[in-house]
Amino acid sequence: MDFSVLNGALASKSFNRIADICDNLMLQVAAEGVAFQDEWPFAIHLLGHIYVDDINSARFLWKSIPAAIKESQPELVAAWKIGQKLWTRDYAGVYDAIRGFDWSQETQVLVASFSELYTKRMFGLLLSAYSTISIQDAAQFLGMSEDDATNYIRTFVLPVHAKCINLETLNKFGKDALRQGWTVDPVSQMLTVKKQAIVREQKLDPGKLQCLTEYVFHLEH
Amino acid sequence: MLGSLSNKIEACTAGPVTKEQASTFALIIARFISSCVADQIRLAPDKFISVCKRFKDQVLLLEEPLHGVAPMLTAIRKLQSSTEHLTTLHPEFLLLCLLAKCYRTGLSILEEDIFEVDQPRDLFLYCYYGGMICVGQKRFQKALELLHNVVTAPMSTINAIAVEAYKKYILVSLILHGQFSTSLPKYASSVAQRNLKNLCQPYVELANSYNNGKVADLETYVKANEEKFQSDNNLGLVKQVISSMYKRNIQRLTQTYLTLSLHDIANTVQLNSPKEAEMHVLQMIQDGEIYATINQKDGMVRFLEDPEQYKTCEMIERIDSSIQRLMTLSKKLTVMDELMSCDPLYLAKAGRERQRLDFDDFDTVPQKY
Amino acid sequence: MEFTHMVINEIVRAGNLVPILTRKLPKDVEIKGYTIPAGWYLVVDQTVPHFDPNSFDEPFALNPWRWEFFSFIMDGEDDASNPMMEEMYANGIGGVDETPSSSSSTTTRKNRPIISGEQLDIEAYAGLYTGRTKIMRLIFIADHCDNPGMQLEALRMAYEEIKKGENTQLFREAVQKIDGRLGPNYMMDASWCTMIDKKAEQRKEKLENELNAYRTNLIKESIRMGYNDFGDFYYAHGALGDAFKSYVRTRDYCTTSKHIIQMCLSAIHVSIEMGQFTHVTSYVSKAEQTPEALDPPTVAKLRCAAGLAHLEAKKYKLAARKFLEVGPELGNSYSDVIAPQDVATYGGLCALASFDRTELKASILPLFPSLLLNLPNKVIDNINFRNFLELVPEVRELINDFYSSHYASCLEYLGNLRSNLLLDIHLHDHVGTLYDQIRNKALIQYTHPFVSVDMRMMADAFKTSVAGLEKELEALITDNQIQARIDSHNKILYARHADQRNATFQRVLQTGNEFDKDVRAMLLRANLLKHDYNVRASRKL
Repeated sequence: MDFSVLNGALASKSFNRIADICDNLMLQVAAEGVAFQDEWPFAIHLLGHIYVDDINSARFLWKSIPAAIKESQPELVAAWKIGQKLWTRDYAGVYDAIRGFDWSQETQVLVASFSELYTKRMFGLLLSAYSTISIQDAAQFLGMSEDDATNYIRTFVLPVHAKCINLETLNKFGKDALRQGWTVDPVSQMLTVKKQAIVREQKLDPGKLQCLTEYVFHLEH
Repeated sequence: MLGSLSNKIEACTAGPVTKEQASTFALIIARFISSCVADQIRLAPDKFISVCKRFKDQVLLLEEPLHGVAPMLTAIRKLQSSTEHLTTLHPEFLLLCLLAKCYRTGLSILEEDIFEVDQPRDLFLYCYYGGMICVGQKRFQKALELLHNVVTAPMSTINAIAVEAYKKYILVSLILHGQFSTSLPKYASSVAQRNLKNLCQPYVELANSYNNGKVADLETYVKANEEKFQSDNNLGLVKQVISSMYKRNIQRLTQTYLTLSLHDIANTVQLNSPKEAEMHVLQMIQDGEIYATINQKDGMVRFLEDPEQYKTCEMIERIDSSIQRLMTLSKKLTVMDELMSCDPLYLAKAGRERQRLDFDDFDTVPQKY
Repeated sequence: MEFTHMVINEIVRAGNLVPILTRKLPKDVEIKGYTIPAGWYLVVDQTVPHFDPNSFDEPFALNPWRWEFFSFIMDGEDDASNPMMEEMYANGIGGVDETPSSSSSTTTRKNRPIISGEQLDIEAYAGLYTGRTKIMRLIFIADHCDNPGMQLEALRMAYEEIKKGENTQLFREAVQKIDGRLGPNYMMDASWCTMIDKKAEQRKEKLENELNAYRTNLIKESIRMGYNDFGDFYYAHGALGDAFKSYVRTRDYCTTSKHIIQMCLSAIHVSIEMGQFTHVTSYVSKAEQTPEALDPPTVAKLRCAAGLAHLEAKKYKLAARKFLEVGPELGNSYSDVIAPQDVATYGGLCALASFDRTELKASILPLFPSLLLNLPNKVIDNINFRNFLELVPEVRELINDFYSSHYASCLEYLGNLRSNLLLDIHLHDHVGTLYDQIRNKALIQYTHPFVSVDMRMMADAFKTSVAGLEKELEALITDNQIQARIDSHNKILYARHADQRNATFQRVLQTGNEFDKDVRAMLLRANLLKHDYNVRASRKL
């Protein structure tokens, strides 16, 4: 089996492509009638699907894996646990699943990257779905632990963590929070979310005029 | 080459085959499929198809459907004259995908528009399997379209595929649109119009119960008929129907309310707690099914209008591509219409039916001699 | 001209040429506790009511403008023979009926309390009707009211009324319903029954003989009369189906349009009694198609019948239109089917429930004096209905309240009327629906002009709780009757302004997708059909 493409993708951190690469490779190998399953990197394959948020495919892959292999690869089980939490929309549980296993060297990068991506997705969700949210809930959604929290706040300017709800911590990050426009009500422990205006391209390509002409022509004939 | 291969396989697989033999054959055929020349096999499509079918049988015998997926896809690509052409191998491929749980691979072929069909049975199976794959991938819109094709396809006798498809059609329609009307469109065959409803009684009743909007009633009904749904392998879908009802009810609220407390939502939608309601609303926002913001402080939800302003370039691109597609389609329609009106068989038939009228037509021509 | 009329009225009021009127009483009349027996002569001093300060402010001042309110009634009064108008007149000048010594009080008194908030005065109610419908209405009341006193009263009158007729079947039913509760005078009268039945037998025989004779002689008119007599006979004995058949059979022997109209009216009458309202509709249209112009009372009757048929078919809008068209010529002439009060109640309620604001304004509201001056032309058209409304002041008031947005008062009127309307034979099944529709329309109308409405204030106006109102509004919004959304947090209702541009885009995309889907499916089906055809063709070859 030729894993060079897969390894290349892993090395270059283009995790988006992993699912496709694995799918295709698997079909090719299978068509050759090779017994590939014992050495197939199922965990990475599964995480590849999870990474691109294709939980359906991840589920079907998990279902098609023979029981014996599931038993022999604890990492695979751990990877599916993430998928399972995503499937049931247990937002906080996803983080527990990520943290709950000591990932091997190959998968570690992928899992870490997914965790980061997932936090970003959740942040986006909070931004769009809440106008006020308790600090505790927000921390759960973002799955912050003490160390990660500091990191995350640097990049995303969010002074949130379940364990740092004391006023000092809040004041410490207050400036950054204000820059994002989020405000904290210290009494009710609620965050007020500030929506970000999304600027989108509205310019028109002059070529569209040509298209318009064609449409009119089509309608008249 | 093809001929000899075909004959040989015919001979070898006629009797009982051992697993080992099957494995060897499968490998040989897989290699043949990947190395053969498309132009040549198209000269003998029947032979090629029968070889491919044997191949599928062998793979299934080995209980390794995954082995067959890639070769079958190659076979389809080599056999079909254009992507609009539905070959007999399409359903076989989708079946293998289903069995090997490679739904995503199956999806790639379903995205192509199909217009030309060799055998009606191919279409039925293709749409049915395709519908199942789309359901698995939660592409309900596409699934509904495929199942709709099966249900409304011209047929002179009712067939099992159509019945099974109709069951799934009801369920998918409920999940996607939250409603289901038992009347089929006019163009559906009269056989289908008459029989399908009676053959899928539990499902029609499920739809009726859904229309009442009461989750508890629906759940009791499902519980009572669980075995039937289970034996049809539709229980999973039925469960999705139930959870879609919560969504439907919440969506209905967005039409009526600007703000509503989570408590009230929980009451109206028959959920146990405001927290549960919050989670439902959150999921729907995540999936883009409603536009709303949750205010945890006051325990309120504010429903918003669709923020799309139809001003962005992306939107223009979307509209543009949609127009382009429609234009190609309508051209195709015109071509079809012209072909039809030139078809001697059609004219003969139409002429026979209008015989008396034609007689009058002749009369209007003035006769000079 | 209106002013001239007013001046003339005022002069007639102040200097009446005929100060004294004498009338012979057709039946016992009770006025202020005195009973004046039938056959007595009554002398009415007209000047008393004319100068009664209860009826006229400053009665001794000459002020033509006081007649402004009633000017249009006078317009219609040229037709002096019209009994309806006399009533109107008496009613119109308010209070006249209260004066002792006034003969007109006998009629108006009877009319006034019919449909009001108080308990139904059965005697007064029954007085409005004659013939079979009177009996049927009384029995209906007995069947549908919970008050045993009222029940028995209704049955008692029904019993007496039946005894005047010849319907023994109905008599037996009534006796069964009374069940001896009214004492020995209201028991089964077997000898009366046998007597009537025997008479009926003889009469039938006679009629049959006559008819046979006519038929042998082939005299069309006589045959028609024969069948007609048969119809009357069957009708009187309660064999409605046979009556209907006999009346319809006269059709072949009708020689003039008058005959046809007579046939239609009889058929309509029987059909209404049978509850066969499809027949009613068809015979109304038959009657209206006759080439000769119909006389006004007939037109009014046909409108009433058509209105009833529409009401029964739940086509309230059409029913309202028909009732509104009923002319004043109806008077009491159709009392064996419908009373003028009913026309007002049925028409008014149906109109409220089904008309939109403009139609309501155009058709009913010119009837109200305050709006009269602005809409002089419509007044003429609708004068009729106002006359009817005057008979049932509650309905008039509630329509007025509805239009001037006093919903609480309007709904209160409706609430008060409800129990009595439920005792009406025709309205009974529709009261619920009509009420719901009126209430919904009130809610819609209330919210219509606003961008935002405080639901607390609205709940006050409708005498309901905020939570209840929220539910009602929710239903209406879901039904797309109100374009608004509820801010449940602040209890405010906001009008929803659909963005046309966005909506159009949305629709375009949706239509495009549907077309896409449909065309593809169609092409596919076409290919399949073609394939099928090819297979069959190749088999043939």
